[in-house]
Amino acid sequence: MSDTPLLEVRNLKVHFKLPGTLLRPKSGGSVKAVDGVSFHLNRGETLGLVGESGCGKSTTGMAVLRMTPVSGGEIHLEGEDITHLNGRALRPLRRRMQMIYQDPFGALDPRMRVLDIIGEPLKVHKLVTGRKAYRQEVLRLMDLVGLLPDMCERYPHEFSGGQRQRIGIARALAAQPDVIICDEPVSALDVSIQAQIINLLKDLQEELGLTYLFVAHDLAVVRHICDRVMVMYLGHVVEVADSETLYTNPQHPYTQALLSAIPIPDPRAESRREVDPSIEGEVPSPVNPPSGCPFHPRCKHATDVCKQVAPTLQDTEDGHGVSCHLYEPQSEAEPSTRVASMA
Amino acid sequence: MSEAIANQPLGNASAPGTTSSLLQVDSLRTVFRQGRREVKAVDGVSFSVARGETLAIVGESGSGKSVTAMSLLRLIPSPPGEIIDGDVFFDGRNLLDMTEDELRDIRGNEIAMIFQEPMTSLNPVLTVRQQLAEPMRVHHKVKEEDIEARCLDLLRQVRIPDPETRLDAYPHQFSGGMRQRVMIAMALACEPRLLIADEPTTALDVTVQAQILELLKDLTRQHGSSMILITHDLGVVARYADRINVMYAGRVVESGTALEIFEQPRHPYTLGLINSMPRLDASEKARLIPIEGQPPDLGNLPPGCPFSPRCPFAVDQCRREDPPLEPYQGQHLKACWVNVDE
Repeated sequence: MSDTPLLEVRNLKVHFKLPGTLLRPKSGGSVKAVDGVSFHLNRGETLGLVGESGCGKSTTGMAVLRMTPVSGGEIHLEGEDITHLNGRALRPLRRRMQMIYQDPFGALDPRMRVLDIIGEPLKVHKLVTGRKAYRQEVLRLMDLVGLLPDMCERYPHEFSGGQRQRIGIARALAAQPDVIICDEPVSALDVSIQAQIINLLKDLQEELGLTYLFVAHDLAVVRHICDRVMVMYLGHVVEVADSETLYTNPQHPYTQALLSAIPIPDPRAESRREVDPSIEGEVPSPVNPPSGCPFHPRCKHATDVCKQVAPTLQDTEDGHGVSCHLYEPQSEAEPSTRVASMA
Repeated sequence: MSEAIANQPLGNASAPGTTSSLLQVDSLRTVFRQGRREVKAVDGVSFSVARGETLAIVGESGSGKSVTAMSLLRLIPSPPGEIIDGDVFFDGRNLLDMTEDELRDIRGNEIAMIFQEPMTSLNPVLTVRQQLAEPMRVHHKVKEEDIEARCLDLLRQVRIPDPETRLDAYPHQFSGGMRQRVMIAMALACEPRLLIADEPTTALDVTVQAQILELLKDLTRQHGSSMILITHDLGVVARYADRINVMYAGRVVESGTALEIFEQPRHPYTLGLINSMPRLDASEKARLIPIEGQPPDLGNLPPGCPFSPRCPFAVDQCRREDPPLEPYQGQHLKACWVNVDE
């Protein structure tokens, strides 16, 4: 592994303009869907991007793929600035970054055979020559994701949700990408099938050395697949850490509340846990975000500073970053009780 | 948890229609017909709900959990659906034998339902006040002059801030979580004895989910109502259910207290579900154990046990004979020929 991260994002901003009124067309303002997000992704690792709806996690993924206009900041792929590539120059990039979508029903063209769905990237990027090699490669990919060869002549409607997701994964792999962006890849699936797909993604990573940016709202799923996790709230990163640290020693009040809100499938463990209903209300509208720290209206520890000044993400040496005024990196050894005592 | 254990209902031991349980369902069968194809969505389901108890019905999509709930109140669109067999005794009266008028007295009054989609279950052209008042007017529960006060009281109970101004707002002016609170307020308007909550939080964010479920728990406890909680989320079940029915392919495959189901699962499907569920408290990047194969086609079930094609424990008998739901130990029931000992 070289020193340059595979993907590096600096101060990424994605703002969407809102339509104004008829008489004042510029009065609409804008939604700051992503507002100053920075992170890096090393080759072979899985970075989880988590948060509730509207936090900007999917938009971040789309911006990295250059599928949505970027309003500010920089995106580097293997040291190369790809933020402003356009038209033809984007083509090779399209091969290097692939996406696995949430909805296995909407992501596949119903009129194409599985053979052609999976094979399309091979044709587009001219990765194989000759029909025999093409078919062989598709069958290899199908085998890789656990689909049977005789399924290749069938159409998407003949498959269940889990199998369709396998087709989507095979298509992403066909392009031999450097980075795969998984946008909620298992959230539309049933539990028993979800586990099959999570395991498949892990096995493929091990076998092929894949790099994933894993966008999800389900922190329990993320725990099983990610090396590092980044928590987003209203377009900002509130905490980033390696998986183990984030789950056992979360520092940001939002991360803490998020984790305590998720029930554990074990009644005995649940009876020992305290449900922390401290997080009141819902995520505010990104059209009119709160001043200062975006989380302060729901935060029980919020002080006057939090209402006025937006905190910045403080990085510690071990890669644990927290965007909170009440957080002091030097007392890392102490667990989360300190945040409570500050209030 | 000791409370949940002490709460053990009398369950199946009681004769149908006696007053020991609030709801008693016996061999309920609901099918959907499409041309010559018949889908057995609910295939002989029996269970009971005791007073004040929360029973969770867990299963994956297509397991028949929602159709079971809809069948209880005869809300199945017919055609194509039809309840072809069974009894549903609510406080001794059979809901399936009632006339439509008699049943209308029960719906929204003694049994209320909360649906999954708060976006589509509210009427977009009526204010919250009109929708909240409707069940009270229909069932003559509250005097006309007291309705406004009662509406405000309900909105306060479901913790909607500033109820006076929110009362005359329309559903589109509420967020998803707030709409689900309005749904709950409507369901509680007539103080039902049984609340059926069909995936009440699936469409909501996790912090809002926790708020709504805590609210449902508090309110049912306060009113002493029973609840049937339908969900696919085992975590939610572990936190809120006293007793659990696990459903697969239109039948109950295992039934027991929350502790029995999670700590001594006796049906291979239950075991499979628990092992495949991602856990927040798992050790780092722990591997999940999925259930192999795909869920069955309800229009074309395999012979014998419907889980047998995916079951790692299946023996020959499983592929020939359908196992009945029988006591494993006390009120812990399972429908499996094999003894699954971990």
